[in-house]
Amino acid sequence: MALNAVKRDIPSNIEGYGSTDGKLFGGAFARKPEGCRAGAAIRSRGPNDGGKFLGSIRDAIAASGLASGMTISFHHHLRNGDFIVNQVLDECAKAGIRDLTIFPTALFDVHRALIPHIQSGVIRRIMGSVNGPIGQLVSEGELAAPVVLRSHGGRPRAVISGDVRIDVAFIAAPTADIGGNMSGRAGKSACGSLGYAFTDAEYADCVVALTDNLQHYPIAPISIPGIYVDFVVQVGSIGDPDGIVSGTTRVTRDPLRLLIARHASKLIEASPFFQDGLSFQTGAGGIPLAVTAFMKEAMKRRHVRGGFGLGGITGYFVDLLKEGMLKKLMDVQSFDREAVESISSDPRHIEISADWYANPWNCGAAVNQLDVVILGATEVDMDFNANVNTESDGALLHGIGGHQDTAAGAKLTIIAQPLLRGRIPCVVDRVHTVTTPGEVIDAIVTEFGVTINPRRKNLIDACKEAKGKDAVHLVPLDELAERARRMSGPMAPVRQKDRVVGVVEWRDGTVIDVVRQIFPENISS
Amino acid sequence: MGLMEAGRAAQAGTVESMDCLVTISPDAERRRIEISGSGVSRFRATMEQKINQVLDKLGSSENIEISVQDNGAVDVVLGARVEAAYLRFKGVIDA
Amino acid sequence: MRRTMLYLPGNNPNMLLRGHLFGADGLILDLEDAVPRSEKSSARILVREVLKNRDFDWCEVTVRINGLDTELWRDDLAAVVPYGIHGVRVPKVETPQMLKDIDDALSSLESMASVPVGTTKVFCLLETALGIWNAYDIALASRRVTAIIPGGEDLAADLRTSRSKEGTELEWARRMMIVAARAAGVDALDTAFPRVGDEEGLRRETEFTKQLGFDGKSVIHPNQIPIVHEIYDPTEAEIESAKKIVQAARDAAARGLGAISVDGRMVDLPVARRAEYTLERAGIITGRGR
Repeated sequence: MALNAVKRDIPSNIEGYGSTDGKLFGGAFARKPEGCRAGAAIRSRGPNDGGKFLGSIRDAIAASGLASGMTISFHHHLRNGDFIVNQVLDECAKAGIRDLTIFPTALFDVHRALIPHIQSGVIRRIMGSVNGPIGQLVSEGELAAPVVLRSHGGRPRAVISGDVRIDVAFIAAPTADIGGNMSGRAGKSACGSLGYAFTDAEYADCVVALTDNLQHYPIAPISIPGIYVDFVVQVGSIGDPDGIVSGTTRVTRDPLRLLIARHASKLIEASPFFQDGLSFQTGAGGIPLAVTAFMKEAMKRRHVRGGFGLGGITGYFVDLLKEGMLKKLMDVQSFDREAVESISSDPRHIEISADWYANPWNCGAAVNQLDVVILGATEVDMDFNANVNTESDGALLHGIGGHQDTAAGAKLTIIAQPLLRGRIPCVVDRVHTVTTPGEVIDAIVTEFGVTINPRRKNLIDACKEAKGKDAVHLVPLDELAERARRMSGPMAPVRQKDRVVGVVEWRDGTVIDVVRQIFPENISS
Repeated sequence: MGLMEAGRAAQAGTVESMDCLVTISPDAERRRIEISGSGVSRFRATMEQKINQVLDKLGSSENIEISVQDNGAVDVVLGARVEAAYLRFKGVIDA
Repeated sequence: MRRTMLYLPGNNPNMLLRGHLFGADGLILDLEDAVPRSEKSSARILVREVLKNRDFDWCEVTVRINGLDTELWRDDLAAVVPYGIHGVRVPKVETPQMLKDIDDALSSLESMASVPVGTTKVFCLLETALGIWNAYDIALASRRVTAIIPGGEDLAADLRTSRSKEGTELEWARRMMIVAARAAGVDALDTAFPRVGDEEGLRRETEFTKQLGFDGKSVIHPNQIPIVHEIYDPTEAEIESAKKIVQAARDAAARGLGAISVDGRMVDLPVARRAEYTLERAGIITGRGR
């Protein structure tokens, strides 16, 4: 055991993960890369080697050489509409393959169908976010090896640096041609950006494209070129369109969320970053989207024009682009139909890979250019550390997403969250799990106002300058914590066992925290 | 608005956010508290203490089971719901 | 300052606990129309417990009790008066005699609870033609009366009409309210705008009733508050009065005094806080959180 830089006790060796020697989190920007990039096996397909086309997933598994104990990867652009992950694992099970490590960019509720494969040993380990029933299963210790959680930028870093070698990447493609060129823009399962799949295509030893919209060679435009792709499989359907993209994203009418969003918007307006060229990321959550709406009003009122919008893109961001409030969109994931439509038709709406978006070990990820990001968290503590992974009972139910990356990159990182969710406070003495260290979090915004990290003295001063209608309600952290304590009452500690069921990596590959096994649900004390 | 017959199961509250549904019914042996829902993992002890405090103050000495389905009720709300359920159980207020 | 008074359903913990966060000048914890018959007692207990908790920041806190034509109102008052509310909102007030009954009940409850007699103010809802007609006498029937408020739906029904988008049917009653309130020296507060999603409609109606002379408006949803406030942004006179109050309160605090009087008006902590809020909104002092 040793303490890392956020004072977390990290075991020196974690069963199923390995030694943490030299891998303790040492600060947000402490670890620098060494050596060369890793690389995939060199393959070739010459003019006399035949085509890539295969008739089924089963054939592709056979052709890929996939065997027990290997690592397979998936992207999550089909979100809760995805049919591919479950189907591939069903076929692996039928083929008698076991002990697989699955390496998805994220899992969704639809993937609860994997539970029998976890229980039967087809899946031995998950490297990627878990939630819902799989998260509960993991938290209660049902997986042989700990889950490894990486951010959207940490994952491509792990692949490129060789921390993770992908044996076979299964890439669902809403459109593909027989040469393996892929795009997410068209087809009945269109998902827009394919950003999360790029690095896997380049670095996996074998790449299988799966599509329900097979076209003649070549398609245009192409997101992922067929030069990386070993096989192309045509399937009936890669996903359910209603689960892939949502309908129009609307700004919340919930008064509490609007109140928090208004506080956050005033903070941004008072900050030195509120000026022409302002770039921001707000995602699709209720509060962040409402912040965007208030910012839009403020930008119009003060004649400020934004620069670019980043990350997961919604129709709301598309509107900002169309109205000239933003000049570009950098899209790693298209959330709704408007975003898919826009990325397919507007050259100012740029598709970017997860590597480009957020990897700390390249020559300048897009997050480094961000002015403002609005994030959520289940808990924040007196050191401003944020937890987005575990719930109040200690269950591992959420992935990291781009939380660490945008927080580290943006000039102003805001956590906007109600102080209480029911009885459960979001400001606590010590978060159960550190996902993102307080050194990269600038402000917490709750229904009680704006709480600024005391390290950001200039930001506090800027807020104090704002007067009248633009005044920012500042609340010191200890006052906020005291309020939470008073309203919630005494909280018992999380009851947990020693065994580590999850490892939370900081985006640079160091261990920032571990998640331990909890007692089964609803067993009383 | 008739008063409820005393001694039969009685309820108060809802399962809406920040509320709880409290059901009180006779128990064969003792005062028994069952809590489920969002607050249970971290607030069981605090909630049990509040429930006992409210019932003691109301002079309850019956063997009753107090079942709480919680959706984030703070003590103020929990106490009010337990009191209402108990007074309904006793037939003192409407139901 | 009573630009907005927000109704909070008496059986809804979420709103009762969070209602004060939305910046309304006052709160109305509602035991009447928002609570179904079967939940009256349960809501009364909940509202009492929330009042005991005293976590309302600077808001003026009132409770809407059930009408004097029900068997509920005395129990309602008994449950809330001991816990330091600023006032009660009484529905369907029609005659000065009803105020005498309320006054007596309040005085006796106040004495029992060691609350200075007369502390609890009365906000009269005039929801019938008779109530409107008697507005001036009602406003003078007790020193406790601090505001009169015309009804909305109920008044329209009693007038044998219905509520329209333009509010034509309520126009005369509203004008009458202003005259009666000013003559009696109490506030005139407007009824709530019922269509929560219709921001333009709310804006139009509020601009109109403010111009008639209303001191503020009841609201039924937090999202209505910023719209009404925008129209009721503090005037120069309000800012001057607030400056005086804040200064007097600071002087009093410096000399270790409790409640003080400014221009004949009692200044306690909520009044001083609201005055600070007025100055904060006017940009004269900097807000220091909630």
